[in-house]
Amino acid sequence: MNRKELYKRAFQDVHRACPGLFLSVASSALLEGIAPYVTVWFSSLILIELSGMRRPDVLEKRIIMAVAILGILSLMRIVFKQWKEYHQNDYFPRRDRIFIEKMFSLDYEDMEKQSIHDLRLQIAQSEMYQGFGYLKLIEIFEKAIQNTLGILCALFLSVQLFSARVPSENTAWQFLNNPVFPIIMIILMVSLAVFSGKLTAKTTEEYMSLLTEEVSEANRAFGHFGFAGLDTKKSVDIRLYHQQDLIKHYWKNSLGVFGPSGMPKYYRGKGGMLLGLSVALNGIFSALLYLFTCLKAIAGAFGIGEIMRYVGAVTAMNTNVSGLIEVYGMIAANEIHLQRIYELLDTPNHMYQGSLTTEKRSDRQYDIEFKNVTFRYPNTDRNVLDHVNLRFKIGTRLAIVGENGSGKSTLIKLLCRLYDPQEGEILLNGINIRKYNYKDYIQLMSVVFQDYQLLSQPLANNIAGNSEYDEERVVHVLKEVGFEERLKSLQSGLETWLNKDFGEEGVILSGGEAQKVAIARALYKDAPFIILDEPTASLDPIAEAEIYSRLNEIVADRTAVFISHRLSSCRFCDEIIVLDKGHLVQQGTHEQLFKTDGKYRELWNAQAQYYRT
Amino acid sequence: MNKRYTSLKNTGWMLKEAWQLQRILFFVIPISAFTGVILNCVQLYIAPRIIRCAETGAPLEKLIETILIYGGLLFVMLFLQKYIAENEGFPRMYFRESMISKFAEKTNETSYINTLKPDFLQMREKVASLLSSNQQPCQHFWTTLTQLFMNLIGFAVYLLILSSLDYRMILLSSFTCVIGFLANLFTDAWEFKRRREEEKIDNRFGYIRRNSEAIAAAKDIRIFSLQKWLLNIHESLLKTYDSFLYKKGKERCLGGLVETVCVVLRNSIAYWYLIHLTLQNQLSTAQFILYFQAFTALTAWISGILEQFSILHREAQELTALREYLDYEEPYLFEDGADPGHGLQCGFVFDHVSFRYPGSDKDIIHDFSLTIQPGENLAVVGLNGAGKTTLIKLMCGLLDPDEGTVFMNGTDIRSLNRRKYYELFSAVFQDFSILDVTIAETISQKADQYDLERVRQCAALAGVSHDIEQIPGQYDAHIGREVYQDGVILSGGQMQKLMLARALYKNGSVLLLDEPTAALDPLAESSIYQSYHEMSAGKTSVFISHRLASTRFCDRILFLKDGKILEEGTHEELMRRKGAYADLFDVQSRYYQEGKEY
Repeated sequence: MNRKELYKRAFQDVHRACPGLFLSVASSALLEGIAPYVTVWFSSLILIELSGMRRPDVLEKRIIMAVAILGILSLMRIVFKQWKEYHQNDYFPRRDRIFIEKMFSLDYEDMEKQSIHDLRLQIAQSEMYQGFGYLKLIEIFEKAIQNTLGILCALFLSVQLFSARVPSENTAWQFLNNPVFPIIMIILMVSLAVFSGKLTAKTTEEYMSLLTEEVSEANRAFGHFGFAGLDTKKSVDIRLYHQQDLIKHYWKNSLGVFGPSGMPKYYRGKGGMLLGLSVALNGIFSALLYLFTCLKAIAGAFGIGEIMRYVGAVTAMNTNVSGLIEVYGMIAANEIHLQRIYELLDTPNHMYQGSLTTEKRSDRQYDIEFKNVTFRYPNTDRNVLDHVNLRFKIGTRLAIVGENGSGKSTLIKLLCRLYDPQEGEILLNGINIRKYNYKDYIQLMSVVFQDYQLLSQPLANNIAGNSEYDEERVVHVLKEVGFEERLKSLQSGLETWLNKDFGEEGVILSGGEAQKVAIARALYKDAPFIILDEPTASLDPIAEAEIYSRLNEIVADRTAVFISHRLSSCRFCDEIIVLDKGHLVQQGTHEQLFKTDGKYRELWNAQAQYYRT
Repeated sequence: MNKRYTSLKNTGWMLKEAWQLQRILFFVIPISAFTGVILNCVQLYIAPRIIRCAETGAPLEKLIETILIYGGLLFVMLFLQKYIAENEGFPRMYFRESMISKFAEKTNETSYINTLKPDFLQMREKVASLLSSNQQPCQHFWTTLTQLFMNLIGFAVYLLILSSLDYRMILLSSFTCVIGFLANLFTDAWEFKRRREEEKIDNRFGYIRRNSEAIAAAKDIRIFSLQKWLLNIHESLLKTYDSFLYKKGKERCLGGLVETVCVVLRNSIAYWYLIHLTLQNQLSTAQFILYFQAFTALTAWISGILEQFSILHREAQELTALREYLDYEEPYLFEDGADPGHGLQCGFVFDHVSFRYPGSDKDIIHDFSLTIQPGENLAVVGLNGAGKTTLIKLMCGLLDPDEGTVFMNGTDIRSLNRRKYYELFSAVFQDFSILDVTIAETISQKADQYDLERVRQCAALAGVSHDIEQIPGQYDAHIGREVYQDGVILSGGQMQKLMLARALYKNGSVLLLDEPTAALDPLAESSIYQSYHEMSAGKTSVFISHRLASTRFCDRILFLKDGKILEEGTHEELMRRKGAYADLFDVQSRYYQEGKEY
């Protein structure tokens, strides 16, 4: 994308997300562009009369006009400014939505990539700390309009400064009529603006852009170590291990470039000098402007009363010119940030390419088979799964066991198409699952992950995963998982908010209760496959036994897959597969596997030895 | 309102703190304020002085001289103002940084019980937000003070400049300033009242955003197709927010209207009076310009004083939370407590101990008595909510009993220096605190001067050295990605083993383990059990577990129920008794028994 296309696309995207934003910004910019010149114009009218004939009736008229027009103008500015601010505030959640929608549709594989999160963080931080990205686009748009219009007004007001001729009898001052003056003035203005722009850019380059990563690392460290204690989960360890020492050590170093020998030193020296100079040069410009204007007035080109008009107009023009040049710099500087945004938004989608629809079968005859499946995580060379062959028997319970890191959870991720294998294929009723429509395929899977997440939203919505829900079914699944009693104790029943993020009336469920709700959610989905990854890790023995005793009923005619470190749970299952370092090493019933000398017996004995009486 | 912390007293306190922490503020603030006023004066005089030269037909040299003087002054003052503006933020930032240090120290050192009190937590949140950015009171206070100071000086100087004018004019214009200020106050009050509302909407937006980005929620969102639901919530939040913004805009327009009326009134008065004066006294155009600009500026100073003063008042009042927090009462003894000594064999006695959590209406532990011999290995089992974790928190002095006493080697824990006392314990709790520091620093809890050899030994004993060696950077790798982008993310099992290694490195006299194997696979779990004897050698230890298998290694098992000891004894004794413990053991072991049908 070249710069023009990039900006066009960004403009269209922001316009689509925030309708009305650009209109309000443009209107407000028009008004703000004109406003300073209106003031200059009307006050100069009064001054001209004052320095001239001083007719009271004319003065009165002009004063009334000035006060009235300026009053109306400032009223309009207030209204337009509020209109603009309304849209500018609204921009933030609406811009969020662009990213939220993208993040939601990203392949899971990309979600697990650090590079995606770094990119997202970079986009967010460069907007937060320096206003780059879409936000800068809005600023560019606004300033371009305001300054262009300002320059037009200034030209209109100051044209006479240059065009009014020194009368020919005033021979000594004839040189003031030389057309070189307006050209000098414009060159001065532009070069001044360019020069101070360069100075500013130089300092920001030296201390901000180049060090962006250090600046944001310092900011992150500042937040992390300064406010670590806010995390209630940390308060025990912080005391027992006296982590304050460690925190203090890192905190002291967290200032990074903000530390006394970094930025402050730079700004105390060179940086501050350069920036001071970039502004101070305007003082010299003002002096030259006064000199030229006064000389021309003295020479008789115009009246003394007009001095203020021209000085006012050209001074304002100077601001507008440097504003416009600044805009030009911003366009260039913002380009990389817009590119970053589109790098994220254009992340391709691989999962959605299939188009076959899955059959809706009431008999749940969905037959899934892993054929020679090999998988490694992106940018690694270790096969997490190595030529795995496996057939899920319809309507049976399958247990997957193995050590940490043996590939159990990965197998589930492939089954749910969170990842696609590099070699081999997974077939649903004989057809590669990639060929199915992704959303259709996902409908077949219900999973309770080890790190399942319930959202801080009402209970029933959590179970339905939707804004609407079938009350009867929600109650039914809650009953199935044994949440009935607890439901009765909840004051707002199904409408009870989970967690206290959004109000004290929310309910914090215990680990066991939350797990039941997560299982209920999986049941509500009513998919032919149900997969439970470590469903009882945080439960005490009684709660664990309760869940197990219900599982048989709960699972009913679904195909069920369990992953558990508690090998005791295998005894519920019709079949067990054992994974070891990515290989499927054993397969069979508990009785069969237990009789063979192998990984399964090793794992079993490791646990069972403590339970033999 | 608490009389101890009025906004006047808080302002005094801030000044006192600044005197201690950033004395340079007392230099920077007046310099900045005076520079602002002087620049203003130069800008005020430049036009009238130059025009007077032109108007009165003064000699050319005089005109050029005037222009040079004022141009030069403008150059210098513009330079100074920009230079100061670029630099004055640093001392303010350092002040906030020092305050965050104080906040962190209080937060991290305060008596543990405080962190469970709702009012303390609420205050803590509030203080954290006061410190959260340069726009928040703790730092912005100094900006406000500078502004106020500048406006006061400016007002005084301009009053002098305008002293020849009719004082009634000044009173009248001051009056319009007050009216405009009051109108703004109303708008501010409206917004202040609705700030909670806005924060609430903001929180919810943030929640959706975080969930869209979090890896934790990504699987569930995809499998259960939660996208539509979350976007619906976002959509309805947008509607609420839009109408909130609309109301806010309307309110501000109203405030703006009143202010405009005041400005129009003020301008009319100024023009009318000054023109009158000019015509009557034959003032020059230059004088008219001077007076008119000075008059406008004077009203700006007045508005500035009112506005900055009200901001200062509000900010100082908000700082009450910070002072209350730093002054929050410490029920535990720290430096004033007795030294418990170190490297001891510790025995504990619980004497009729009761405890309930703040805000709860029933005791979690009630009338509880227990003696733990020095060097004893104790196991505590029981269902969730039985009070197991509370028991060890009472033991290591994180909590103090409401009734009864906990003695360590015969001394009431409450009389000891709590910080020193904590040094006696090596503990792994279920909630742990991992900072974004290196693995070696995590295990040793020391920033430097750790013994790498010992770090390795402890990692090996905890069974995590193999995992660490797989990581690029090994022991020097940072944990987590909150700060360092090249940090490593550890799995739950690895984290748990790492916490165990940390406890071993500390080598305290007492080993406390609360469910240390919940996230481990059977082989890793078993190997921890195997090395338990080695880990607890020569120490008093308490092992909490759901897995009754682990209890067999202990000298004595306590079975807790509802904060009381239901049964106690060795595994064999308890099994023989065929009570609750035996039942629980049956539930767990049933599936491991060969030949038994479930």
